[in-house]
Amino acid sequence: MGYLNNTAVTVDAILTAKGRELLARGDGSFRITQFALSDDEIDYTLYNPNQPSGSAFYGEAIENMPLLEAFPDETQIMKYKLVTLPRGTARMPVLDIGYSSITIKQGASLAITPQTLNYLSQTALFESSGYTFTISDVRLFNSFTGVGINTPDVQALNQSTTIGTNVSKTVVGTTLNLSATTVNTLFGSNTALTATLQVIGRDSGARLQIPVTVTKNN
Amino acid sequence: MSFKRLDPEDFLVSVDSITATAWSTNSPTLTTFFTSSTTSTNDSYYKNVYQTASTLSSAAVQFAIAYGNSKGSGSANYNDLVPGVSPTRTVYGQYRNLVYGSETATFIFATVTASDFWAISVDRARYKEHLLKGTFNLQIKSGSTTINLTDNSGMVSTDTYLDCGRVYQIISGSNGVANTSINANGYSLSSGSYGLFLPDIATIILNPLALSQSIALEPSRTSDSEGNNITRLFAAISGAASFQVNSEETVTSDYVFVRARNSEFNYSENPSFISGSTGDVIFSNFINSPQTYMTTVGFYNDSSELLAVAKLSKPLVKDFTKEALIRVKLDF
Repeated sequence: MGYLNNTAVTVDAILTAKGRELLARGDGSFRITQFALSDDEIDYTLYNPNQPSGSAFYGEAIENMPLLEAFPDETQIMKYKLVTLPRGTARMPVLDIGYSSITIKQGASLAITPQTLNYLSQTALFESSGYTFTISDVRLFNSFTGVGINTPDVQALNQSTTIGTNVSKTVVGTTLNLSATTVNTLFGSNTALTATLQVIGRDSGARLQIPVTVTKNN
Repeated sequence: MSFKRLDPEDFLVSVDSITATAWSTNSPTLTTFFTSSTTSTNDSYYKNVYQTASTLSSAAVQFAIAYGNSKGSGSANYNDLVPGVSPTRTVYGQYRNLVYGSETATFIFATVTASDFWAISVDRARYKEHLLKGTFNLQIKSGSTTINLTDNSGMVSTDTYLDCGRVYQIISGSNGVANTSINANGYSLSSGSYGLFLPDIATIILNPLALSQSIALEPSRTSDSEGNNITRLFAAISGAASFQVNSEETVTSDYVFVRARNSEFNYSENPSFISGSTGDVIFSNFINSPQTYMTTVGFYNDSSELLAVAKLSKPLVKDFTKEALIRVKLDF
């Protein structure tokens, strides 16, 4: 990790770990079709609308900051996306999944159905394109499936398998069904395993990340 | 919406020619030359030349020198019962096959046929893909006489090809242009050109007849006897201390043009953009005149899996009065 030279506007593109995995798979799933923008690292409390020098200087504390190089871990970058909303939006979409953290016993199952607050002039709604669920370590679950969205792309994504290492897994659906691992050897001498679950509204871009803990039965 | 689809015209494949200095010193001209003092079974065939003492960790092979002779002269026979078959004969056949692709061809320097040659092969890591024509400048010194050699690419309008690709005559001069003091085309007085410059296989073939005539640098052509001809050329190059050539490679790059229209990406899901848990934007003036600062571009597949990311070197401000066009180079 290091700082990028900020004397010129340059872009430094790297593959994520997921990108490398899909590239190695060679089944056509590595195909860039869309993009998103994010403002990771930006602290908007540095924006000062009371700056005595005038509005041109409101963002001076942000505009000249040097940025860190890109992280290849897809769960640690593109966290906070820029979203397209109608002008005059006073409240940003917020996700509600009913949990601030999840603790689940070995072998137990759980269903999560998120909803989005403050979106499309509604207090709460289920996004029609569903939600993207990403678990940072897929080994913690025997099953991690999204249901409720049946487009070909989503079906292909939900049916893909990832084996071997502690890579992330992403599924799409209106509901996430998960079942904690029954494999004792994963725990080693630990009594619990932890990971993070990231939920993103596919229409709103709203994002939520919570810790997930799987506790060992014995 | 946080994702935007890319159109086919947003993708561009660009092929660029990249040239660079060939040598490990990153200097256009190599001025110091070293060989390894450790003897090797390959010494009869070739010697590697380094930019520094070969015992130093920074030492890297820059090029190799070999000598070939069609009659096997200049080195000891493999077997006394088979005269004329020696390392120099092997080297001759090796380069003849490489350059002409024929077992009956002879090396022709302009109009003069020669039965032997010195070969300089630039190390693969140094020349990348090709040697760059017109950048070859080699000084060779014998006794007190020095000659400047270059390729004649600056004097020909049409490239000539052999089985090994492009071929240029090596002439007296510099930077691809002849020194006309002896011959209008830069050749030697009566022994043809000074050699062949073969950029596509990064090889330089030198004509001993021409070098002998111009600066009295001559290989030993005694049969069944070690002539130390490789060392002779090394000493001549090392003595003059000036060897310049550049590398050339073709780099294919994929570019993606990311376009953010004025009405797009003006709000953020950044926690610091929001005040409290209700989702209220942090500043009241952000309701009608929001400002965001983009720092990262993420590229996704149809399944919204993050495949690649690009970071800007500084935050780029975005609001309803601005549009952004970012060119991202995909180097993987």
